[in-house]
Amino acid sequence: MDLLAKIFEQLKLLNTKLDSLNENNDKLLKMFEILNETSIKTSLNPQADVITLLTLPASLRKTAMALYRFERATADEIAKTTGRLRAVESASANQLVRTGFIKKKREGRTVYFSIEPKLEDEK
Amino acid sequence: MKTISIHSSRGGTGKTVIATNLACVLANRGFNVALLDFDFRAPSMAIIFSKALNSPVKYWLNDFLNGRCKEGQVLIDISNFYNLKGKLQVGLANPSVEAINNLTQKSQAWEAAAVKKLFSLLSSFNSDMGVNYCIFDTSPGVQYSSVNALASSDVCIIIMNSDLVDLTGTKNMLKDIFDILDKKTVIILNKFSPENRVVPNKESDFALKIEEILKHPVISKIPCYCDVLQAQRMALLAIQQPDHPFVRKLEEVADKIDDL
Repeated sequence: MDLLAKIFEQLKLLNTKLDSLNENNDKLLKMFEILNETSIKTSLNPQADVITLLTLPASLRKTAMALYRFERATADEIAKTTGRLRAVESASANQLVRTGFIKKKREGRTVYFSIEPKLEDEK
Repeated sequence: MKTISIHSSRGGTGKTVIATNLACVLANRGFNVALLDFDFRAPSMAIIFSKALNSPVKYWLNDFLNGRCKEGQVLIDISNFYNLKGKLQVGLANPSVEAINNLTQKSQAWEAAAVKKLFSLLSSFNSDMGVNYCIFDTSPGVQYSSVNALASSDVCIIIMNSDLVDLTGTKNMLKDIFDILDKKTVIILNKFSPENRVVPNKESDFALKIEEILKHPVISKIPCYCDVLQAQRMALLAIQQPDHPFVRKLEEVADKIDDL
């Protein structure tokens, strides 16, 4: 009888510990979710402001800086501004599109690149 | 059109006095000059040119950057008041506390849009308004408005005083911003006095030593003039005393500007 009571007590203790572990696990999962959401938001919303561009490699920065001059521009138009090859500007602009700094739009056979900052509720 | 930014690592180096007087020197040579107050944290040109403004300012540069007016509405022509041979037009920063507060709390997205607007403004100056020189008077140090102006300029002139704090600040700023932006950058040593040189060298070698440390050319060494110091930012010596040695120094700078 004593043995059964002891086992019951131990099981209750184990159960409490398992509950506590489950609670901690839930907290950790929530923290991971928040962290994931934050990193996704950051990588999806990079801004092409000059101070941010200072942190980019020179090759990408040159393309982005040239784009400031246009509402939208083809790789050829960017190349005329930077003095580099069209293929270089095309590769650089596409990389900036992939990292979310600039937008790309195709009209027929022509591809346009542009800086389109999202202004939300700014006076 | 040539676009020139006047900048410094610290406040009080003489940026505004040099920007306003250089603009007057160029306008008096018959050129069409646009002078923009890009010191949105501490605007001063609305006060400096207050007598020349014959009506309340309709649109400030702040309004343009906030999308409240067009490119053609932001400049105010003050040439007639000063009887200049050429044209001097100013774009003023709004000195009200509300406007200063508004422009210092913008997001990165707004700043990115502001650079695009700035390039569009410069393009309009060049193609629609026949401006020969556009001069930005910027806010010292690393401010968004100043970095935006530097990014859109052809040449940057750093105004430096000869003390160790300014030398160190300028060196860091050149490394972290100017060299990365790959802008043509030159230095003017202002309020120069042989007694307060940071580099222990002969006066004639001082500019060379600064060039060696900063790796950018010193295009002028302007001595410290008591009357310029007393008048501070209100000193429009290029108009009031065109023969003043300070103005003659700026005439020399103006001679070099096209080759920069």
